[in-house]
Amino acid sequence: MAQTPVAAPYLHADAVSVSYGATRVLDRVSLTVARGELVALLGSSGCGKTTLLRSIAGFVVPTEGRIVVDGRDITRLPPEARGTAMMFQSYALWPHMNVAANIGYGLRMRGKPRDEIAKRVGEMLRLLQLEGYGERTIGALSGGQKQRVALGRALAVDPSVLLLDEPMSNLDYRVRLELRHELRALQQRVGITAIYVTHDREEALTLADRIAVIDAGRIAQLGTPDEVFHRPVSPFVAGFMGADNAIDVVRSGDAWSWPASAGPGGARARAHFRADRARLAPPGTDGGRGTLAIDGTVGQRVYLGTQYRYRIHAGADDFWVEDAERREEGAPVRALVPPEALLVFPAAA
Amino acid sequence: MNQRSWAGLALAAPALAIVVVFFAGPLAMSAILAFRGRDGGFTTAHFEKAFELYSTDLLFSAAIVVLSTAAIAVVAIAIAGYLTLGEHPRTQAILRWLYRWPLFIPFIVTAQVMRTFLAKNGMLNHVLIGGGLIDPLQAQSMLDWRGIVVAFVWKQAPFVTLLLAGAMAAIDRQHIEAARNLGAGRLRVLFEIVLPQARRTLMVGLVLSFVTMLSVLSVPMMINPNSPTMLTVDIAYRINSHGDYAVANALCLMSLALASVGAWFYVREAARKAERG
Repeated sequence: MAQTPVAAPYLHADAVSVSYGATRVLDRVSLTVARGELVALLGSSGCGKTTLLRSIAGFVVPTEGRIVVDGRDITRLPPEARGTAMMFQSYALWPHMNVAANIGYGLRMRGKPRDEIAKRVGEMLRLLQLEGYGERTIGALSGGQKQRVALGRALAVDPSVLLLDEPMSNLDYRVRLELRHELRALQQRVGITAIYVTHDREEALTLADRIAVIDAGRIAQLGTPDEVFHRPVSPFVAGFMGADNAIDVVRSGDAWSWPASAGPGGARARAHFRADRARLAPPGTDGGRGTLAIDGTVGQRVYLGTQYRYRIHAGADDFWVEDAERREEGAPVRALVPPEALLVFPAAA
Repeated sequence: MNQRSWAGLALAAPALAIVVVFFAGPLAMSAILAFRGRDGGFTTAHFEKAFELYSTDLLFSAAIVVLSTAAIAVVAIAIAGYLTLGEHPRTQAILRWLYRWPLFIPFIVTAQVMRTFLAKNGMLNHVLIGGGLIDPLQAQSMLDWRGIVVAFVWKQAPFVTLLLAGAMAAIDRQHIEAARNLGAGRLRVLFEIVLPQARRTLMVGLVLSFVTMLSVLSVPMMINPNSPTMLTVDIAYRINSHGDYAVANALCLMSLALASVGAWFYVREAARKAERG
């Protein structure tokens, strides 16, 4: 597994394993996060990303390994003694308290004087553009406002680590886009160390300094968004990062050719590519040096607004290509994939 | 009134008739008889007599029921709180299985159980003496107001716990985790996060228990039948020993006035719930 080294680890999850009964949910996961860094845990449902977050928060006790924050081993500490703050998927705002009481609760737990709490709550409301909302009830807020209040409640206590558990999954797409940028700007301005769980690739790429792609309880790849997106280390990561077209290819000189069965007997491999990195051309078109050419027919057409998305049948292979030109279903086409768009992995045994 | 309204009324008529004939009618008759003299005219004599003879018992009843309600609240919050926030699944499972037993035991059996448990030579004193906690000469009967309170709490706390634990279990678990994550211990979470959200259910359970306890005859009759005792014993005494239905009816209305305090809380909570939709 590729892992970008971290200069000054602030949080260190060291070979953490978690089991629910006989099911191993996390399998010796190691993760280091630098001070002020935002790391996204990206994976599909049930991969273990939320369990890792909950282990750091203290809601799940690891069966093996340890978690260290700023040199302090917090593995066995109860959640209230860890100094972390978590923002939940449902926001978990308390409906019997108003906005100010929600934001100030953590400070009250720390025994801060009333005027200090009021001052800090005011700062949070200003920071989150919620001035004048302090006395509102939670039920009177929109989804986006609730999200801000939940973030304010977590930030108010100046936590050692901010833990975000899919905080935008309940929001409309447009609100999500807007808040995504706001959240990133805020995290950088405050300089807080944060771990962000998401299953949304775009969200992880937009927000994170580094992304840990998690698969079946293990970190499949940990790296910068650019590394994970352009240089995935496994077919799983490539597929998860959007290169979900996969075909068998064969080495032919210094390039890859298709179909693999028709090749001269060179090394065989599995090539992944993104639908928007290939283009469609009339059969017989020469794509240029190193370009992979795949002949097939249009199987299905989906309108995307600015262009079309075509399902191409090519022998036993099926893949998707995005193209601006309208083509009829059943039309013969040649899909051209430039060499720099190919992510090639050893053929499965 | 249009045809549809008549059809609706016809559908509701049987249920309405049952309520009027078996509930509202007898209640109204009891109220009327409480104010009717031997000559058939209006009188407050039965109430004067009831107050003269039983005002202490009225206060005793109110005190017993209020005290029991408070104790039930404490027990129910403790059990439901542990079931919601406890961290030992096995202990929680045992407690969840055990606490419901009294729900299936009638009041009269509860009273008998308490007699054998709280009497001077009862099980409680045997245990205390056997454990060296008290001297045999210090053993005393608790078959007085304390016995009634213990019996009521023993019988009614599981009912309130059942409602309260259900309401607490319905609270989003992340509400609890959010508070703990911000530094709240479990006791604070119980009183500041969980209980405020389950408060209305607790209130409804306590009101229903309050009214139920006011109407129980068997427990005060078996544990503490001598004065001061509860109004239910007095009502039974007026009827069975004196055939004095008039004073009994006056006592019933006094009991009803006490229950109405609870009913007022119940209706107020129900109205608030309806307002919230």
